[in-house]
Formats: sequence, C-alpha cells, structure tokens
Amino acid sequence: MKDIISVKGLTKQYGNVTTVKGISFTVKEGEVFGILGPNGAGKTTTLEMIEALRPIDAGSVMLDGIDVARHPQKIRHIIGIQLQSSAFYDKVTLKEQLIMFASFYGKRVDPIELLAQVELADKAGSYPEKLSGGQKQRFSIASALVNEPRVLFLDEPTTGLDPQARRHLWDLIRAIKKRGITVVLTTHYMEEAQLLCDRLAIMDSGTIIAMDSPKNLIKQLLGRGFKKPEVIEQADLEDVYIDLTGKALREG
Amino acid sequence: MRAIFIYAWTCIKRFFRDPVALFFTLAFPLLFLFVFGSIFRGGGDVSFNVAIFNQSKSSFSQEFVTNLTKEKTFKKVDIGSFDEAKEKMGRGEIDSIISIPTEFGQPNQQQLPSGKLDVYYKESNPQAGQTVATIINSTLTGVSQKITGQQPLFSVEQKPTTTSNLTQFDYTISGLLGFAILSMGIFGLANQFPAEKKAGSLRRLQATPFTKGQLVIGTLIYYGVIGLLSLGLMLTVAVSVFGFDMRGSWLLLLGFLIISIMLMLGFGLLIGGWAKNENQAAVLSNAVSFPLMFLSGVFFPRYLMPEWLQGITGYLPLTPVVDGIRYITTENASLIDLLPQLGIIAVWIIVIYALAIKLFRWS
Repeated sequence: MKDIISVKGLTKQYGNVTTVKGISFTVKEGEVFGILGPNGAGKTTTLEMIEALRPIDAGSVMLDGIDVARHPQKIRHIIGIQLQSSAFYDKVTLKEQLIMFASFYGKRVDPIELLAQVELADKAGSYPEKLSGGQKQRFSIASALVNEPRVLFLDEPTTGLDPQARRHLWDLIRAIKKRGITVVLTTHYMEEAQLLCDRLAIMDSGTIIAMDSPKNLIKQLLGRGFKKPEVIEQADLEDVYIDLTGKALREG
Repeated sequence: MRAIFIYAWTCIKRFFRDPVALFFTLAFPLLFLFVFGSIFRGGGDVSFNVAIFNQSKSSFSQEFVTNLTKEKTFKKVDIGSFDEAKEKMGRGEIDSIISIPTEFGQPNQQQLPSGKLDVYYKESNPQAGQTVATIINSTLTGVSQKITGQQPLFSVEQKPTTTSNLTQFDYTISGLLGFAILSMGIFGLANQFPAEKKAGSLRRLQATPFTKGQLVIGTLIYYGVIGLLSLGLMLTVAVSVFGFDMRGSWLLLLGFLIISIMLMLGFGLLIGGWAKNENQAAVLSNAVSFPLMFLSGVFFPRYLMPEWLQGITGYLPLTPVVDGIRYITTENASLIDLLPQLGIIAVWIIVIYALAIKLFRWS
C-alpha cells in the first residue's frame, strides 16, 4: 500500500514553547491511523497542521502527493475534517447544512442519503442544537464526507459519548474504512485504539514515543517481560453495563 | 459563486428563525421611527411658534413685541436671519414670521403711533400663519380703539413665502435611515463573527475550501438583503403613516442606500473579523459608532456645530450618508449633485475593506 500522508520533521512553536518537536510518520492509504497521547501532547496541533488549518513552522507534510504548506486549498478539497470543538450554525437544519457544505466544494449532494449513512435521515429537518452528543458527532462526520474525501480526520470523535454511542460511532468508522477512505483519528481510549486502528502513534510532550500496529506494540511490551499484576477477568464493568442496558443502539 | 449565494441564503433563512435578531433589526428601527415621527409631526396645541424681526426702534413697537411674547398663544423663537427663519418655516419648525418695519409705531400726523407690519405664512400650508395674522390684527385693532376710539391706526399685511412644504419629519428621516444603517452594519455584523468564532462554526468553515473572500461577499449579500428589507419597511411606514414627502428619485435612493449599507458593513466586518471575542467587538463598535452618531448629523443637525467642527465632521463616514439621503429626499438631488458624498464614501470603502480583509481572523 502506498503512503497517502508523509510527515517529515513537523514542528510547531508558540513563542519559545515547542509543542510539536519535529515529528515524522507516514499513513498508508486505506488504513485507520490513530494518534494517542495525554492532553497537551500535541495531537490536535499535529492534526491541524496536516489539515492546513495551522501554519507549519518547520518540516513538511505531503498529502496524496500535494505539499500542504504550498497548496492548502487543494488539500481542503480532498480531506474531510471533524474538529474537536466542532460547531454548526444553529437554526439551520441538517439538510440545509449539508447542502451548504457541499456547495463550498462546488458539489451537489443528496443530503438525505448522506444522513442515512450516519443513521440520521429522520433528523434531516432538525437543528444541530437539538441533537444528542452521539448524533452530533455522527452529523459532524456526515458533514466531513460531503466532498467524498480521500482522508478523513477525526479529532477525539468519541470523547464525552456514552458507551452505546461510542460503539455506534466505531461501526460507522469501520464502514467508512470499507469504502476505501483513509481515517486519521486521535483518542484517549485504548480500547478504541486497539479495536479500530491498523497502526498508531503514541505522542508525549510533542514527540512520538512509539509507532506500530496495536498487536505489535503489545507484543513488544510482553517481549520486555511485562506481566499484568492481576489475572485477567473474563468480563469487566463495561461488559456488565452494555449487557444490562442493551447492546442495541438506543439513540437516534 | 454558487457557494456564496447558498451561504448567503442559508444565513438569511437562519436570520428569520431568530426572533431576537428579527426584533432588533426590523422592529427596533420602526420603534424609533414612531417615536421621532410622533414628536415631529405632533403639535395640535394652540400655541404658535413665531419669529419676530423688529427693525423699529420706536418705544411702541418694543412694547408691542414684549406684550406679544407675554401671551401664551405665541412662542418667540430666536433666529439669526430672515432667510433662516423662512427655511425653518418651510420645515414646520415655526408657524409664522412677523416682520416689523422701521416706520412701525412712529407717530403719524395726529401724533399717534401707527404703521403696517407683515406676517409671513407658508404658502403651501397657510392656516397657522394666517391665524397668527388674524390674532395680531385683532390685537392691533383693540390697541387702536383704546387710543382713538374707532380710527384704525395699524394694518397687517399677510405675505406668503414659497419655501417647499417639507415637514421636520422629512428632514429627520435621513438621520433615522442613517442611524439604522449604522447600527445594523456595525452592531449586527461586529457581533456575529466573534460569536461564531467562539462557537466554532467559523472554524468549521475554515476547514472547507470556502475562502475569506467568499465569506465576506456572502455576508455582504446577506446583510445587504436584510438591511434593504429593514430600510424598506421604515420608508413604507414613513410614507404611509407619517406622510413622508419624497422629493427625489426612489431608484437613486435605493442605489445610494445600497452603497451606504456596504460602507457601514465594512466597519462591521473590520471589527467583527478582527475581534477574537464579543467583548473586544462591543468596545470597538461603541468607540466607532458613538462619535458617528453624534457628529454626523444623525441626531443633531451639523449646522448647530461651530464652523471648524463642521469642517472636520464632514469627512466622517456617516456624514455623507446622512447628507446624501437628505439631498435626495428633500432636494431631489441628482447623481451628479451627490458626487462629493459618493467621493468621500468611496475613499472610506476602499480604506475600510482593505483593512477588514487584511485583519480578518478565522478564530
């Protein structure tokens, strides 16, 4: 598989604080790539530089063969972005929002079809402020898909969602991957990273401290002689919760 | 291109779903219009505003004027020149001008005071002026009878003046329209962008290929449509309720209003595009709009200001707007007559838009 994103020596400086310290990595076409790390590790800043939302101070980003710093407008046409603090115009229906967003790309879309992909077809006439957290995130993804992007960026897509809504979103991300769209996401949830990501990078204070597939990262850890202090339980509280409240997705 | 129109159209739909925005943009200026309209159309009491020009040095005429102004029926208005008084009468600020010639009150052959005075009234609206003349005539007849018994000593001549029949309201409307354009352009827009920066919706647009320029043009279309709607509503009420007397071309007025809206929107774009939050925007919009409100002839006519201040304030951005509207509506000014105003507006538009685009921040 060819590399769709290649990041070299990417750096961001605010005054004399360097928040992203010359990181390099590549993302392969069609994979789900995760960026993990504690708050303030530089995940969002890294993502926003790749998305041409923030100026790149040093280093380079090539996306589908295009230099992001030199052609930000071309990049915007081929990527879809779900921002961490994403907001939509209030008092504008989901349908109207999608028509407007599509027009920004010079496209016409069938808004109902797009909404159906994220299971929000019945909310076409609602305003975004009336949606639940999970529905908002799903709509945000729908809006990022209006231009049929090559790469979809999701910044902490499941933060603040309840377990059902989170699982619902995972299914959606898997479906998007199946369509051949490359997904780059950040997350705090290890379970999410392990289930969704083909490869991941772990960031801490502006540098990448590890990068591989989840399986290999675990293997490497075990190779270093790591043992869990307690016997692994056959089920945990989350399994109990999901079992009791029903795995079936109740929202929407 | 399509993106710009869809953006503008979406914003317009959104505007009509927001009752607060609707009230402040459409109903609030109308409220102002009703307040000012009722003040300046009002009257209906029995007192008359008169200007008295007394050229006579005779003690009789001095006493006559003093007695006249003691009466509750007459309210003496001090006015510098006769021409100014005529202008004021044209606007309905005063009802009549009483002119007392030098000979008035001088003793005649019988050594009794006599003479003739002139009462001017507005040709197109003569009732008030003629009533004043009648009252003065009967007063003077009474005086004559006291002195001589029956022989009339004085006469009153009624003279029409031919100033146009414009009411105070017709002059006020230009200030009201100017105020509406100012408040919509500056307050409306300067608040909208920072609010959207805070909410994050502007940042979401930044993530798409929609450019700064497209955003600005789309916003101008959106506010232009809303602004014309608001002004149209004001003019409709002005004509139908307050009998606003439009002297000029409606088409020229429309064009001039569009240019004026664009100018004031430039200030809103500059402030709202630059400000990071609503507090910055509020401080800046007040700092810009208050001086304009008080120095551009919106609430106080500029001719009341000292010469030097009139000179400076003539170059403020809102002054040519208010002046231009007044010249069109009261003097039937042509496009060529408006060139000085349009020139000042054009310079401001270039400066403000250049700054606005340069200083715009997405977040």
